[in-house]
Amino acid sequence: MRELLNFIQKNIYWLHFILLIIISGLLIVSNNQFQRSKYLYVVNEIAGRVYSVTSNIKSYIGLRDANADLLERISQLEESVCSYKNRLELLGDSYADARNLQLNPSVDFIPGRVTYNTYTKSENYVLINKGSKSGIKQDMGVVSPRGIVGVIMNVSDNYSLAISVLNSKFQLSCKIKDKNYFGPLVWDSKDYQYTYLENLPRHAELLSGDTIITSGYSAFFPEGLPVGVIEGVYKQKDDNYNRAKIKLFTDFSALSNVLVIDNYWREEQVELLKDINN
Amino acid sequence: MKVTWLRLLLMFFLLVFLQVWICDRIHILGYATPYIYIYFLIKLPIDTNKNLVLFLSFIMGMVIDLFNYSLGINILASIIAGFSRFYLLKLSTTRDVFESATPGFATFGKSLFLRYASCLVFLHHLVLFTVEAFSAFDLLRIIFSLVGSFILTMTIIFAFESINTEVSKR
Repeated sequence: MRELLNFIQKNIYWLHFILLIIISGLLIVSNNQFQRSKYLYVVNEIAGRVYSVTSNIKSYIGLRDANADLLERISQLEESVCSYKNRLELLGDSYADARNLQLNPSVDFIPGRVTYNTYTKSENYVLINKGSKSGIKQDMGVVSPRGIVGVIMNVSDNYSLAISVLNSKFQLSCKIKDKNYFGPLVWDSKDYQYTYLENLPRHAELLSGDTIITSGYSAFFPEGLPVGVIEGVYKQKDDNYNRAKIKLFTDFSALSNVLVIDNYWREEQVELLKDINN
Repeated sequence: MKVTWLRLLLMFFLLVFLQVWICDRIHILGYATPYIYIYFLIKLPIDTNKNLVLFLSFIMGMVIDLFNYSLGINILASIIAGFSRFYLLKLSTTRDVFESATPGFATFGKSLFLRYASCLVFLHHLVLFTVEAFSAFDLLRIIFSLVGSFILTMTIIFAFESINTEVSKR
């Protein structure tokens, strides 16, 4: 017994070191979703408060660009509203009926501001200054005025953390506008401006400049939100499919205003998809 | 004695804030990010209890991890740096350095201090970048980030140290 105590006393430095190594090693390895979510709930509130100080200042500096982005988005929306109106007019009589129809909106947008955002690591996250008090829940999609940003992963009272498109663990089904070929959007952890759309059939004719939009197959995003444009098409390693290099519309190095999408049918969709997966 | 610890406490908070608010946002060419919080471990007095150094490096790593949304990576890097600090100090100190002195240009001399600091910083960065890269291994990227960040961190530490000695001279 005494020898054991002696041994411990002599080597306490080493033992202490090994203990701490084991603790940190366990923290790194056990980095799974469940433990992470509990840890993140606390971290969100603390880090959110600290980071919101700088983001408050930064948001003033970036107001000019943010305004330009918003104006552009408004003009796009105005255009599409006009075109829809024209189409309705063309329909003639049924236009009057259609106007009287009370349609429930299927999606709701919750505006928020980014308080913390990384884009150079292999796993990036975006912290948003709205939380469960504003009605944000897990698995909601996040978009910027230009394109998609990510999916809410964790929510605390006043802040929520979204897993960014720029995260090696993130996958989202997207498709090519007007062509309907679809595949998972995957990031290769290298350049924050580019990502890849994989598993595209070899016979599909893909051109640089084709627009990529969300497919609506996942419950996170409704169909048709802008993602990016194709920059080039390459053969995949296993050779049966093509992968397209995509330039993202969203500029992650200057992310400030975002919208969180509340899809009213999200829970229903998730429920249905669960049955498939099991 | 008390004054030293008060100063160290102040330095701890200052370095955390600098790291979190400024340095974590620097990505020169997308590779180089300075990790200056390690300066805290470098500047602990020579005769600080070895176990206390380990504990402090654990705490420092934990705080940085918290703000970085990472789990354990910075802890691991800083405790390995804190652990090897003892041996590096043994190598770096000559006999005429006081036991209770704080490592710095004034006590160690420029070249000796830079050697000691660069060993510690390099070790810390090496662990940090290799562990961080586990999820997407890319050797070239690791080397670029390691070298770039190392140079940046050492430059900042050199600047801090120069200012420090200038101020204490007056």
